Amino acid sequence: MGQGAGAGLVSNELESIFPHLTPFNHSITSPVSPDYNCIAWAAGETDRWWWPLAGSFAYWPSNVPVQETLDAFIKAFGSIGFTPCGNAVIEQGHEKVALYVDENGKPTHAARQRPNGRWTSKLGQGQDIEHELDGLTGAVYGVVAQVLKRPIDE
Amino acid sequence: MSAATVPAPMALDYASISRASSEHDVLMDPWIEAEEHYRYPVTRRPLSDAEKFYSLAEAWRLDVRFTSSLTQMILHPTYQRIIGMGVAAVPFLLRELERKPDHWFWALHAITGADPVKPEDRGKLRKMAEAWLTWGKEQGLAW
Repeated sequence: MGQGAGAGLVSNELESIFPHLTPFNHSITSPVSPDYNCIAWAAGETDRWWWPLAGSFAYWPSNVPVQETLDAFIKAFGSIGFTPCGNAVIEQGHEKVALYVDENGKPTHAARQRPNGRWTSKLGQGQDIEHELDGLTGAVYGVVAQVLKRPIDE
Repeated sequence: MSAATVPAPMALDYASISRASSEHDVLMDPWIEAEEHYRYPVTRRPLSDAEKFYSLAEAWRLDVRFTSSLTQMILHPTYQRIIGMGVAAVPFLLRELERKPDHWFWALHAITGADPVKPEDRGKLRKMAEAWLTWGKEQGLAW
């Protein structure tokens, strides 16, 4: 189990839910927190939930369609400087975000690339983990449909 | 034995039974309890609002723990059943928000029609919870 796992799931439970995770390809990097979700975490925030839902129930960037579509999510990340990118290879001077979608093309999850080339994800209301990009593909989050990138502020 | 031949529960006239001695009570009380259990076993007893709410809430938490989708959370059948409890669920929802902020805001809004969260606090669970708890106190609710 990774450091700071808190009261959340231990690794072997995660591995049963995300079959591509193994004890050797991921680590838990934060305690459980209900304060933010994977979209906020990928956007670099830890104090609010991002989701396209009308009303006061979640944050969504203004002037971005309040729709559960890949295009709306690309626009949401576009509002903080991300642009579509053709690959998930680490690039000096850039950070990348990967958007996952389910079998219907609806966004389910986002992961952010770390400087070491691995990816960091917030798992719902659970912990943050560091993982390989395909470690979270499968029945729960679907597949990676789009990678985005933006320059890193030096 | 077919269903038609199952005997009906015994209807004893306990009032007519003498309770002259405590020894008699010691013998009869377990018998009375056993008969009540036969008539109203736990599996047939209606759940209290609290039992219903907490069993639904726990099932919901378990099912949505990996999702970031608020849409999936609020459309989940157990969440909808909590909304279906109506005003009876409000004190439990507020108590849960006080104990540990979670996405109960849609349910509270759906039941009460209120929306006390400031636009700048959208998505900030702790501030949203504070706004709803303040609203609850202003309504004179106890939880």
